[in-house]
Amino acid sequence: MHVTVISPERTVFDGPADAVVAPAYDGQVGILPRHAPFLTLLGSGMLTVSGGEAGRFRVAGGFLQVVGDEVRVVADRVEIS
Amino acid sequence: MAKPRELRRRIRSIQNTRKITKTMELVSTSKLKRAQDRVVGARPYARALAEVLGDLYAPDLAERFPLLRQPAADGTKRVGLVLITSNRGLCGAFNANLIREARRRMQELEGQGVSIDLHLVGKKGISYFKFTKRAVASQRTDIGDKPTAAHAAELVAPLMAQFQAGTLDAVEVVFAQFKSAVSTPPTTLRILPVTPPRADRRLGGSAVSTGTDALSAQPPNRLSAYYILKPSADAILESLLPLYVRNQMFRALVETAAAEHGARRTAMKNATDSAGDMLDLLRRTYNRARQAVITQELAEIVGGAEALKG
Repeated sequence: MHVTVISPERTVFDGPADAVVAPAYDGQVGILPRHAPFLTLLGSGMLTVSGGEAGRFRVAGGFLQVVGDEVRVVADRVEIS
Repeated sequence: MAKPRELRRRIRSIQNTRKITKTMELVSTSKLKRAQDRVVGARPYARALAEVLGDLYAPDLAERFPLLRQPAADGTKRVGLVLITSNRGLCGAFNANLIREARRRMQELEGQGVSIDLHLVGKKGISYFKFTKRAVASQRTDIGDKPTAAHAAELVAPLMAQFQAGTLDAVEVVFAQFKSAVSTPPTTLRILPVTPPRADRRLGGSAVSTGTDALSAQPPNRLSAYYILKPSADAILESLLPLYVRNQMFRALVETAAAEHGARRTAMKNATDSAGDMLDLLRRTYNRARQAVITQELAEIVGGAEALKG
């Protein structure tokens, strides 16, 4: 699946991945390929993208959206760590 | 005709000025490039946010969310106007145009009996309104030409609070829209109450297609119907609306910064060009003057020699 991590200033991550673990407003949420369409608010915490190009980000606020094979993490604040 | 020495001095002074304007042109060209990248970089976020809000929004939500509250029937009474200008000059009519747009809007609003809270960003706007002795609600100069989302958040937070409390009926921003490096029309954008973006774009071409008439034809077409939404459409809308407002302010800041560099580059290019033209003319005049002096001296010498012979 294809993952993009977007901050207000720029696109921080854009590439293929096997799994995404994101801090939703009420706890961690894991996204694997072929997930159902999904839209949730983000809390704050660590976002992990694994497989393909891996990446770890500290995110806060915003939302996560899954449509088809696309995962979009649109966060109000993103820091690469 | 002017004296050769004076001409020489003017030529030198114009050459120096041209060096400065030429350098500033080059500097703004590279800064413009980076500012432009920032404008482009900010687009995916704005687009993603607009898409989701457009999907979740329904006209009947307006009463439930304070940020969507339309002004009461008896009209708007108090409007917050944010004017974004640059901190530095030497960019042609850039700031003058922004200030003119702001004044036009203020006159329009005051004509309708609306009182205005003026919020200024950038030294140029501040010094203008200081000159006209108009009361200003807030002013800041620390944003400069690299605005961040945090700047936008700071700027918008008090305005959103006042809007939600009902002390402001609308908030507008006057900024330079960055259409291209040479086209940066000053624009007034109403950021509060939120005008929800239209839901006519789809991510990845999947799910169902909504026509461009998505706004009129409603529920069955809405993307949100096919989503698992957590916590709920209302809650998501509630926390994304402030982000949307903030992002619009951010966009205004970023575009104005890019437009400033574009305007400065154009202004400096014109200055460099006309310095070149002036130099051409002065050099020609100088050479003519120099030749005239030589000719005259020769004539005097020849005349003197003739006189001695006689």
